Order: sequence, then C-alpha cells, then structure tokens
Amino acid sequence: MNRVDWGRIGIDGALVHAIARDGVAALVHDMPAVPYQGPDEHVKRWVLEHSDVVEEAWRSAGTILPVTFNVIVRGDSAVTAERRLRDWLAGNTAALASRLDALRDRVELRVEIDLQVETSAHEDPAVAALHLEMPGKPAGLRRLLEKKLEQSMRDAANRAADGLYRDSRRRLASVSEDIVEIKRHRPPVGHVPVLAASLLVSRGAVESVGAELAALKAQDPAVNVRFLGPWPPYSFANVAPGASQVPADSDRTGGANQPRDELRFPGGTAE
Amino acid sequence: MSDAFPLPALEPTRDARATLPDLIEVLLDKGIVLHLDLIIAVADIPLIGVNLKAAIAGIETMLEYGMMRQWDEQTRGWVQRSISRTVPFVEGEELVMRMTGGFRHTGLYTTWRPGTVYLTDRRLFVFRREPREMLWESALSDIRDISIEAEVTAGSERPRIRLQLNNGSEALLSAAEPNRLADLVRERTRLFRDAPRVADADSMGPPAIRQGHLWYHEPRAGSFVWRGGAARLTENGISWKSPVDARAALNVPYAEMLDTRLESGNSPKGSLILVIDTAGGSFRLAGDGIADWAGELTQARGRSLLPAGTRPDATAW
Repeated sequence: MNRVDWGRIGIDGALVHAIARDGVAALVHDMPAVPYQGPDEHVKRWVLEHSDVVEEAWRSAGTILPVTFNVIVRGDSAVTAERRLRDWLAGNTAALASRLDALRDRVELRVEIDLQVETSAHEDPAVAALHLEMPGKPAGLRRLLEKKLEQSMRDAANRAADGLYRDSRRRLASVSEDIVEIKRHRPPVGHVPVLAASLLVSRGAVESVGAELAALKAQDPAVNVRFLGPWPPYSFANVAPGASQVPADSDRTGGANQPRDELRFPGGTAE
Repeated sequence: MSDAFPLPALEPTRDARATLPDLIEVLLDKGIVLHLDLIIAVADIPLIGVNLKAAIAGIETMLEYGMMRQWDEQTRGWVQRSISRTVPFVEGEELVMRMTGGFRHTGLYTTWRPGTVYLTDRRLFVFRREPREMLWESALSDIRDISIEAEVTAGSERPRIRLQLNNGSEALLSAAEPNRLADLVRERTRLFRDAPRVADADSMGPPAIRQGHLWYHEPRAGSFVWRGGAARLTENGISWKSPVDARAALNVPYAEMLDTRLESGNSPKGSLILVIDTAGGSFRLAGDGIADWAGELTQARGRSLLPAGTRPDATAW
C-alpha cells in the first residue's frame, strides 16, 4: 500500500496523492468532512480544478474512472477516511479493474443536433400557403395568421426532425460503443431539437463520428451541429453491477449512470 | 453519393470558451458514484448525519407530519409567530408542514440547494435561512401534478419529488419524508383542481391498431444492443421509442417498407425477429407476441397499398 504524491494540483492548491491497492489507485486530497458550497464563481473554479486533475490522470494513465465533483469520503472515530477508502478499493478491485479495462483508449464525445425552424420549414406546403395569404390582410387577422404560421413552421420542422433523428441516432450508434441521450438539452432559439447525446467511442473512431456528422449536415442546410470533446468518459464510468445490462423498469428514465432497459451483446453482429 | 465526394469530417472542439458550461454540467452530474456509506456528499445535500439534527426536537417532528392542524389555536399561533420571525410568510398564510429538503437548481450548473421545505395553506416553497434566500416557490394553485421518482446518488436510490406546474415548467425537490410531503401536497391541491387535464401526446395521431413493449435491435460499433421501449402500429406505419430517447428511433411509414418478414434468431424474448427492410437499412424488433405484430403489420401494410377508394376501412357513401 503506497501513497504517491502528485503535487499541489488539487482544489485550492491541495496536495493530491494516490492511494494504490492491487494495481488500482484512487487520486485524493485531504479536506474537512464538509462538502464544497459557495457562490457560482467559486463552484465553477473548483469544478475546473477537479477537471484538471481528472485530465492529468487520464493523460498519464490512459484509462480512468472519473469521479463526480464533491465526492467526499468520511472518517469517524473508529476508522479514518483513508482506511475506509483503502478497504473499499480492496473490496472492489476486480469490478474497478474490469471497468477501467473496458474504458481504456475510449473517449466521450458530446453531440447536439438541432434543426433551424425557418430554414427547415421553408418548403412546407402549409407554410408556403400561409406566406401567400399574409400580404394585404388587416392587422388583427395578420396576427392570427402569424401565430398559425409559427405553429405550422414548428410542426413542419418537428416532422423533419423525426426523420433526421432516426437517421442520426442509427448512424451515430453504429460507430459508438455506447450512446446516452442528454435529457436536459435545450436547443438554441429558433431551433427544434433532433438528437443530443453522449457517445462512448474508441479514440480511433472520433473521425468516423465527425464524418457521419458532416454527412448529416450536408444532407440538410437547416441542420445545426455542436460537437464537443474528446473528454474522459464521465457519462460511462459507472461501475454499478450490470448497470446497463439488466433490463430495469421500463418506466425508469434516468441519466447515463442509471440502469437502462438494454441488453448488450458485445462482439456479436446483427446478421 | 458521399463516396464520390467525400466530405471533410467535423472535428470536435475542446475550446474551453465553447464547452465550459457543458463541462461543468458533466462534472457535477456524471462520473462514478461510489457505494457504501462512505460518502457524505455527492454534489448534493450532505447525506449522512445531517437530517438527524432536525428530528431531535419534538416540535419539528410534529411539523414534519403536518400535524399542526390538530393543535389548539394557541399553540398554532405560537409556532406560527416563532417561525414567521425567520420565514417570509405572507399576511394570513398558515403553515401546514415543514421538513428539511432542497431544490434542484438548474442553470449554469445543476446542483441540489439545501434548505427547508415549507407547505402552507397556499404555497409550497424551499427556503434557506442562512444566508437568507427563497430557493424556490410555487402557489399551490399552480401545481398541476406531483410525483415521486428515484434518483440514484451515492450508490443508492433516493426518492425525489417532481412537480409539474401549470405554466409547463417542472421542479425537482428533495425532502426528509418525500412521500409524506407529496401526500400532503396532493391533499391540499385537490382543493384547487378543477382545470381539465391536458391530453397527452399518445392520444394524438391515428389510433393504435396494436401497441406494447417490444425490443429494438440497435447496431453498435462491433456489437449490438437490444433496447426495451414502446412500439405502436397504426394505419400509417410502425414506430418504436425508448423512454430515455428524445424521439422514436424507429418510425417507418408503410410506403417506405420494401419488405417485412419474420426470421429466427436470438432475442431477449423468443426466437422470432420481425425484420423491416427499407431503402435506408433494415430494422429489427422482437418481444412477446411478435408473430401477431408481424401479422397485423402485413395486413395494415396491404390495406395501405390498395387504391384509396377500395380500402375496406374507407368511408363509403
């Protein structure tokens, strides 16, 4: 059991050290048993400092399980926090090592595909008809027609988004090892959402994702793409046993680290 | 087409200016969640040992149970006055219940903001005394629905309270006793419930010939996944949607189907797989009663291919 110093690279310059056990190590720093709390500006800085340590570890180790900000191990009179963490590492070495192996040379990419309403709905017959109807109408009727036009444009864009979603989900899933949609995604003003997701891909496949996105963009001028990463695989780090392999309640709608209604067949093929 | 003119692949950006809010959200919300009770906080309300403090005083317990209604007027008045010194009640507002809890703040970053949940005869709010701030509030008359959902944090599930408001927005609250709080809110809001419920999306569009749970086959890099979700067959076509996806991954009108067939193979349920061929590729579904699904799909597709006037289900006059 060794303790290796990583230097003062932690939150507020805290000394980060590794607690290692059977080939698996936890990067930690000492702190009072109180969570970080404070104004947005402070939280932002702390989170980025946390992120820097995660990145540094990712670069040097090639694979990591990133831990969420503000996870604090508590000690008490019977057992110190460090002892508790060592015991936890010892009891979970196999599960941690296998998840670490699975994530080796994998990166997380974030993709947001949205559809610009006005451009997308431009050629819709109902929208075109309303445009023709508008000129020369009295103000009251115009307002009514404008409302109707806005709704028709949204409907048309949403129909286009349905079709685009089917294509993009299938294409992006086929080059990813895992894909989790982002529930909280809000598209820019004047857009309808198509697909927002975190992808787990091998380093070598980042370009394939980029190629699929380029093809989607070329297919429709109304498509707007945001493509972020590569990041450490935050959304895919969970080590809960069988997190994505056991079918869970089908009404459960959670984030990436919650059980999903999926059965996985690694190495298999469709045919 | 794309073979003849290969497009340059898009490159992902790590530019901190563009990705900062996303990165912060990921760091606060994702990542590994440890098991056991060795955690005191997961970007959340401190979890261990804190709520005990509130439970010590008997009066707090009574408040948590919302038992104030049963107290005599004098006691009620005294409690109301003592709490009013620190909590911003409006004139004549009566406390029903309070307990420790929090509000899920979403903005630049998403996090739990700890405070105390108050239910009064007219409002539900989360208030923090030090430093003094109203974290969230809603009039009871603005609450359309309240439900309990599970959030996985620190390796275990914690019940949270989801509120749907009449203006279409939502809020997520935590509370020491979420079920009790939800029951009391339901009891209170029933008084205001007279507005008709908004029809849900499922009741729109053509009626379903058949609907139910099916497994959808999704190819992945070097593997595939069977995903559970809701399938729906109408006179227009077939669709399948996972509850965790934004839209339907499968949505094929009959006009786009080149062929539909049953083939044998391994699936999570049974050894028959429904294959739908389209110009854009094949889609596969499996599950209980898949042969019946296939039969009805074939019939409905046949009807859709007939000239409009000869359809047996067309209106005749």
